[in-house]
Amino acid sequence: MASSLSVKKTRLILGVMNRSLHLSSSLKSQESEKLENKKESSLDSEEFRVYEIKGLKKVSFVRRPERWSKRFPPPRYRTMPTDQDWTDVWPTASTFKWSAVPFPVRQGYVENSSENEGVIPSKYANLELMKGPNFLHLTPAHVKKHCKAIKHFCTQWPEGLDTDEQCQKHFPLESVTSDYVFAGPSLTDDRARVASIKFKLTDLELDNHARDKFIRLVGDRYDPDTGDVVFESNRCPLKSQNLEYVKFILTAVYFESWKRESWEQQKELSDMEQYVWDQNKSSKTCVSLLSDIKARDMASGDEQGKLSYLSEKEVDASVVSDLPEVQQYKEAVENLFNDGESIETLNTYRMAVEKLLNLKLDV
Amino acid sequence: MSVIMLQTQGFCRLKTSLSHTWQTSRWISSTASLCKNRKSGVPKITPFRTKQLTYEEAIPPSRMNVRKGWLSFNTGNLHEEKRAAQTTFEDFLVRRFLTGTWHRSLTSEVVIKRRHNTIVLSFLVSMERMLPRQVYFLQGYSETMLSGWLKMPVKIELQTVASQRDMIFKKI
Repeated sequence: MASSLSVKKTRLILGVMNRSLHLSSSLKSQESEKLENKKESSLDSEEFRVYEIKGLKKVSFVRRPERWSKRFPPPRYRTMPTDQDWTDVWPTASTFKWSAVPFPVRQGYVENSSENEGVIPSKYANLELMKGPNFLHLTPAHVKKHCKAIKHFCTQWPEGLDTDEQCQKHFPLESVTSDYVFAGPSLTDDRARVASIKFKLTDLELDNHARDKFIRLVGDRYDPDTGDVVFESNRCPLKSQNLEYVKFILTAVYFESWKRESWEQQKELSDMEQYVWDQNKSSKTCVSLLSDIKARDMASGDEQGKLSYLSEKEVDASVVSDLPEVQQYKEAVENLFNDGESIETLNTYRMAVEKLLNLKLDV
Repeated sequence: MSVIMLQTQGFCRLKTSLSHTWQTSRWISSTASLCKNRKSGVPKITPFRTKQLTYEEAIPPSRMNVRKGWLSFNTGNLHEEKRAAQTTFEDFLVRRFLTGTWHRSLTSEVVIKRRHNTIVLSFLVSMERMLPRQVYFLQGYSETMLSGWLKMPVKIELQTVASQRDMIFKKI
């Protein structure tokens, strides 16, 4: 059995070699010589091949000459002096460079000892450190240098603009435009054409009617909580055109709100959204009452019940409305009508009336 | 390959002569295979743990942003931002170009960062087969070619490693 197997194997090898003969013509002569030699040795001697036990016979290897190995200069951080200027090493924002960073740093996650011999990867050949941004270009020394360089171009902050309120007062109109820069071949962006202006409604010179009309015209562009009006436009193709357009809107709405159309005269007291003391009967009654009281005071000559705040001059509507007692009464009445009756509004109304009429109630 | 095939056939023939119950079609499977243990981005373990992996390859995509960071940094996917598709395609183009240009020397993936309209490429280059002057040439060449194609300034901030072997993190 064993012999038949070995014979079959030999035949098989011969068959393989025969096939390989057809592969190349240049090797044909060499191959055929070898083949003949082998045939002779195997057929003529009629001996089994000697089985060679591996490692029993010494085999001499011819060592290949070692390749010239590259020698790399030491990384930069090895030759850095300790008192160097870091801003010269790392002048601008740049990807993490392991060879230029003098401190040891590691990043990565190691699950077990099969990964990186159980050690967190160091900075050498570490792609993770190169991914994130770093702040090695923004050390205090860098910032100091930047400030020193920029200081040449700085000017004094203008006087009288120390607080936000002062800025708001002197520059009431705020215009907002945006520029977009992104990683693309074109610098243009259609969102950049949008322009808007913002201002406080109180900065405009408006009377009651004009203010009311202005708010109605601008609609939800007015925010009653902050008192800001914002006009925004994107209808023109250019930013400057949109900016001009919103300024035109402001002008147009302003002058439109000052106009009184004929149909606006038909608005009566009952059409008013809010109670306005000056337009109501209460103000006229107040003036007539105060003039009456003054006339009686003059006649009686009694000092105790006299209204001391009334001046010696004649009492008319314009003088009366400027008096602080009357102003207080006006506010109290308006609050009572507009905010509704509550303990606070009623109390302020009572105080105002007491002050107005110089009443001394001993309750 | 042909020798191996022949040996395999011979072995089969041999076995057939010994016992006739041998099925020669044992490797052909007509049923659909269920690849339940194959996932994209997760390399398969070799029998003798000879496959060498870098840190980037060793961490599966499921651990993204936990154990490893992204390779592309841009604002394309933010709300109401444009050019998401173009950005992705450009990244693909850049990676293909650099793989070919730094052939057999590009030892890591390419990190593409977009700051304003500048594209910053950072990667690791093995110095096994490179001379310093070749690296300088290829850096300038890649920057010039990519800047021309993408119409954006491209900066390459590469670093060198001595050998590809330094990148090995794990063997599976």
